[in-house]
Amino acid sequence: MLRPFALHRPGTAEEACALLATLGEDAAPYAGGTELLLLMKLGLLRPRHLVDVKRLAGFDVITDGGSLTLGAAVTHRAVERSPLVAARCPLVAAVARHVANVRVRNVGTVGGNLAFADPHSDLATLFLTLDAIVQLVSPRGRRELALADFTRGAWETARAADELLASVRLTPWPQGTAAVYVKFGVHERPTLGVALALVLDASRARVTEARVAVGCVDPRPVRVPSVEARLRGVAVPELEDVAGAIGELAAAAVEPDDDLHGSADYKREMVAVFVRRALRIAAGRARGASTPIPQFPHAVIA
Amino acid sequence: MTAGGVSRLTIRAVVNGRPRELDVPTHALLLDVLRDDLDLKGAKRSCDSQVCGACTVLVDGLAVSACTYLAVEADGRAIVTVEGLADGDALHPIQEAFIEAGAVQCGFCTAGMLLTARALLAENPTPTREQILHSLRGSLCRCTGYRKIVDAMEARHGARVEERPGSAGTRRTFGGEGAMSGPPATPTTPEERPGSAGARRTFGGEGAMSGPPATPTTPEERPGSAGARRTFGGVGAMSGPPLKWIGRSVRRVDALEKVTGRARYVTDLVVPGMLHARVLRSPHAHARLARVDATRARALPGVVAVLTGADLTWCDPYCGPAFRDRPILAIDVARFEGEPVAAVAALDEATAEAALDLIDVDYAPQPAAITLEEALAPGAPLVHTGEPLAGHFADLSSLKPEPGTNVCHRFRFARGDAAAALAGADLVVEDTYRFPAVQHYAMEPHAAVAAWDETGSLTVWASTQNPYSVRVELAKMFGAPLSRIRVVVPHLGGGFGSKTYAKLEPLTAALAHVARRPVRLAISAAEAFQTVRRCSARVAMRVGFRRDGALVAVECDAQYDVGAYADIGPRVVQKATYTATGPYRVPHVALGAAAVYTHTTPGGAFRGFGVPQLAWALESLFDVAADRLGRDPVDLRRDNLLGHGEEFAPGDTPIDGKYEESLGRAAEAIGWTQALAADRGRGVAAMLKASIGPSVSEAIVRLHADGSVTVLASAVEMGQGTRTVLSQIAAEVLAVPLERVTVVPPDTAITPYDQTTSSSRSTTMTGRAVQVAAEDVREQLLRVAADALGLPARDLALEDGAVVSAVQRLTYPEILALRFGMSGGELIGRGVVAPGRSAAPLGGSTPFWEMAVGAAEVSIDEETGAVKVERYVSVADVGRAVNPLVLEGQDEGGVVQGLGHTLLEEMVYTDGHLVNGTLLLYRVPRADDVPALACRFVENADGAGPFGAKGAGEGSLIPVSPAVANALARLTGVRLRDLPLTPERVWRALRARKDPETHAGEPS
Ligand SMILES: Cc1cc2nc3c(=O)[nH]c(=O)nc-3n(C[C@H](O)[C@H](O)[C@H](O)COP(=O)(O)OP(=O)(O)OC[C@H]3O[C@@H](n4cnc5c(N)ncnc54)[C@H](O)[C@@H]3O)c2cc1C
Repeated sequence: MLRPFALHRPGTAEEACALLATLGEDAAPYAGGTELLLLMKLGLLRPRHLVDVKRLAGFDVITDGGSLTLGAAVTHRAVERSPLVAARCPLVAAVARHVANVRVRNVGTVGGNLAFADPHSDLATLFLTLDAIVQLVSPRGRRELALADFTRGAWETARAADELLASVRLTPWPQGTAAVYVKFGVHERPTLGVALALVLDASRARVTEARVAVGCVDPRPVRVPSVEARLRGVAVPELEDVAGAIGELAAAAVEPDDDLHGSADYKREMVAVFVRRALRIAAGRARGASTPIPQFPHAVIA
Repeated sequence: MTAGGVSRLTIRAVVNGRPRELDVPTHALLLDVLRDDLDLKGAKRSCDSQVCGACTVLVDGLAVSACTYLAVEADGRAIVTVEGLADGDALHPIQEAFIEAGAVQCGFCTAGMLLTARALLAENPTPTREQILHSLRGSLCRCTGYRKIVDAMEARHGARVEERPGSAGTRRTFGGEGAMSGPPATPTTPEERPGSAGARRTFGGEGAMSGPPATPTTPEERPGSAGARRTFGGVGAMSGPPLKWIGRSVRRVDALEKVTGRARYVTDLVVPGMLHARVLRSPHAHARLARVDATRARALPGVVAVLTGADLTWCDPYCGPAFRDRPILAIDVARFEGEPVAAVAALDEATAEAALDLIDVDYAPQPAAITLEEALAPGAPLVHTGEPLAGHFADLSSLKPEPGTNVCHRFRFARGDAAAALAGADLVVEDTYRFPAVQHYAMEPHAAVAAWDETGSLTVWASTQNPYSVRVELAKMFGAPLSRIRVVVPHLGGGFGSKTYAKLEPLTAALAHVARRPVRLAISAAEAFQTVRRCSARVAMRVGFRRDGALVAVECDAQYDVGAYADIGPRVVQKATYTATGPYRVPHVALGAAAVYTHTTPGGAFRGFGVPQLAWALESLFDVAADRLGRDPVDLRRDNLLGHGEEFAPGDTPIDGKYEESLGRAAEAIGWTQALAADRGRGVAAMLKASIGPSVSEAIVRLHADGSVTVLASAVEMGQGTRTVLSQIAAEVLAVPLERVTVVPPDTAITPYDQTTSSSRSTTMTGRAVQVAAEDVREQLLRVAADALGLPARDLALEDGAVVSAVQRLTYPEILALRFGMSGGELIGRGVVAPGRSAAPLGGSTPFWEMAVGAAEVSIDEETGAVKVERYVSVADVGRAVNPLVLEGQDEGGVVQGLGHTLLEEMVYTDGHLVNGTLLLYRVPRADDVPALACRFVENADGAGPFGAKGAGEGSLIPVSPAVANALARLTGVRLRDLPLTPERVWRALRARKDPETHAGEPS
């Protein structure tokens, strides 16, 4: 059951921001509502005004430039189905298929996911490896922030109260990048997410650059520079040799706490296990091997 | 639209093909608009957090959670609800497929499942299994175990066309039809007392039965294979007429209303003038209520009544089946987090909810005892200090709390000299096992609607498994005669024990009393976590064997955490402990158990009634012993199984099954002796459970002037198929088509007494009462016909709605016309099954023993500790499967529910607070957790129920944990003693094994 509120459906971001500025603390941006309405039903949030962002011009489009831009109000389902996403960032489409359940995907949005900044977000983790930049709009104009700077902590972002997340810009990896996303856990939300991408040289023999992010174990997802550095320049056939060390490096880079998802030491160990596994899968993809993807219980591999 | 914002909107939507214009507040949820404004009640509110899928509707073809979706979003869109799936009377193929596959049980998830399936199939008419499971990621079912739902979705695209419907109703024929012989038509008096000597023979025709039982044909098992090979004593010696309805997987009689969304549950009922209630709950595990002031709440417009504990001076505010220790609302002290402290009845739910904020409560938090250890420690905070009154359950008068402690009841059962036998045993294995507190999560949260009328009579529509227990409780509390309390049970959205005994009914009735208007109280799934749970337990067991493998003694010391109020916990404890030795012959036993109060959600009945906790210990230790003795675990169990006819305990019913068959079939089906891949492990476990003894069931069968039949009985249909089974029994005895039988839902003003729908007893006890009542009608028919035809009754038989002799035939309408003249009239038959008390240790003999065996094949991800159950076989000794498909569905659901507490489920308390009391955080099994699953039955027609049936439905759940843990131990060498076997727990145990030095002493 929801408490009464006024619904605003502005047509432009400028109008919406002006509303947010006027209404202040009493207002909340509203997209799919899969998080917002849930918290409102529980009485944990009691905004008296909702500002619908779904009708804002440009918010629900996916555009391709040098980079791929996902409008904030694009649903997970639209990401999953978009030919553009499939062509430019196929892993993003594949991961979208495994976010939450079909109903949440049909309604929930990319912007809502990032703006909510739940520590157990698949998107936030994956997007870090795509050097995601978020565009924010406010009465003061537009600004851009790296996703890494936008997400400050658990349910905490750099967004000002009168600011809207307009879109997120992803920098697609070069063609032929071997990448994988793995999530693990028995709970509704993932206990761990690992995104790993190996950019290869022209002959697909060597890693020229690596992007690795680990999510869900810390208050916000993190890139793991130590692992990326260690992978740079490694020959594809030798990836297996470094898998163990890579896992350990990643585990050393996170600071988990004990919670319902597990004890800190378990989560740390799972980071090692799944970064290692992710590397092996990516290495297989780098080799173009047609070996079937291994299956692990309670793990989803995209 | 202006940027000014609106609080109401007129929306236009096409709902199930019909254009609608609706004026809705912006904060209205689509689910409420559909249910309340459009009276489309098919979409249900369950988890209320987008996890379960019960509220699924399609918006422009896409599935959404209507519980978390603003109605205004539907503007300009097409909405499809379950009511819109069928085209007039023509069901949508997916609805047909669900019925045919047996995918419908309680029906609460059904609408959501159907719409999810429909959305998937519209997009992808030939989904792979992976795609089906993926689409069901957000669709929970607590009854079916999912297998039949997935089957139905696969069948839809032709993968299993051979299983598809032919003709209506009875089209699904399982092998054995026609080959079946029934018991002879034994005339029985309406009243019989199977407890008394000599009567047992008529109680189901034991010994008179023969002929091969109906063999269910499941996808993997076709006639002529394993199932059909089985033969039983006396084949061919039998002469009874073939059975027409018993043993056949007829369509569920409630399937149609469930797949069309027409089935009404308590939450769907609207009583004119009805108010809506909400409950204020304590945020503390233990607190004194220094002040509860409802003045501000009472002043809120729309609030009609507010009730606090202090207001309950006009009734007896205490209830409880074991001890009357639980107040309707906390009085002076709140004893668990979530205990009702005050309640509001208002014109609508929103007002009631808003009023809760206006109730001022000063809590003085007190030290709390959350765990068994804390509750049993010297000087522990006491949950109860006064002496509670005895409960309404006469059998429980022996229960006694130990003053000055948190022990609310202690039970001991001994035979022989266990201490000496253990001292002399060649091998003693012992350990302490823990079983978690788990939540039933029946998908329909508890609900009640109560209305007092001008004569002072009370009617309560209740989501309860035992309307008659609720009636007693209400009568006591409100000082009314039983005849003035009417408890009505429409469809029930799952129970599993959570809806036994009074839950919301006393509070709802009290509110209705002070409000002087009908009141509806429907709690959320999160509040169900604060209503009842399974009793967690710590079980220390010692088991002694001789070198040759003979079990010589079992010693058990168990503590069950029954939470803040006794509920039925003490009975759980004593009944389970009594059978702690399982289906084995044990000469020396010393079994002890305590029910212990803690400051947590009350623990009550939950499928298995205390037995899963003990079987977890015993069956694990059995494998430890097999290892130490160098014996095969199956062989060791077989050596010790009780034999048919053997005494379990003096005065109790002798063993009524051939248990070696169940064990043998389970071992065979899992391939026990066959080679096993190196990365797999197999394990087996068995269980024995007593049903309630003594217990009473009564039934009335009415044969109407047109030859149709009404069955009045009070077994609650909660998904297990009891209405269907009772229909089959009546149709069989009276030789009428199933469609001519109507089973009236329980209503204490109309349907006769039935003790409870629990303990796997309905087919046996209520079914037997229906059989006896139908036989009573049959005798009357034969008498009238015999007179009319001038033939002895023995020359007559019932056939297709008529009494026939070799040459003549009188239809039932003709017979009724002969009996009553042309004006009508009806024949009424009465059936009473009332075994009475006995010399058995618990004061009554069990009407049957429920026995089952489980066998698991598992694999492990050693690096993460994630256990995967790859295959699972359950074999239950059911005597006779009245409806094999329904029964299979029951047992599949039981196995999957068992996998829940085995691998996933546990209510977690941190700093005195339940931290995972919602479906977002409490993980129950999903479709993709289900292993390859086969549920089988041993049918020797040796049960006390109709046609040799005996109880089923709980048995399949109980062996799951030990079977899985035994498989895991055989695979990894690691023995876990604490459930659930979460990845982390298993990972720790594996690590400790690998590196015993560093990780010694770590909890496993
Ligand atoms: C049952 C369930 C399971 C889930 N599982 C997963 C999972 O496995 N992986 C995963 O990654 N996620 C998961 N999620 C999260 C899901 O992805 C988000 O719920 C969804 O994307 C949020 O989008 P929304 O449009 O519904 O946001 P809303 O609920 O509308 O908004 C969420 C928050 O963001 C703010 N907001 C929304 N849009 C904007 C904007 N444009 N600018 C500024 N602020 C904005 C709102 O004010 C609110 O605070 C799950 C959610 C649920 C309910």
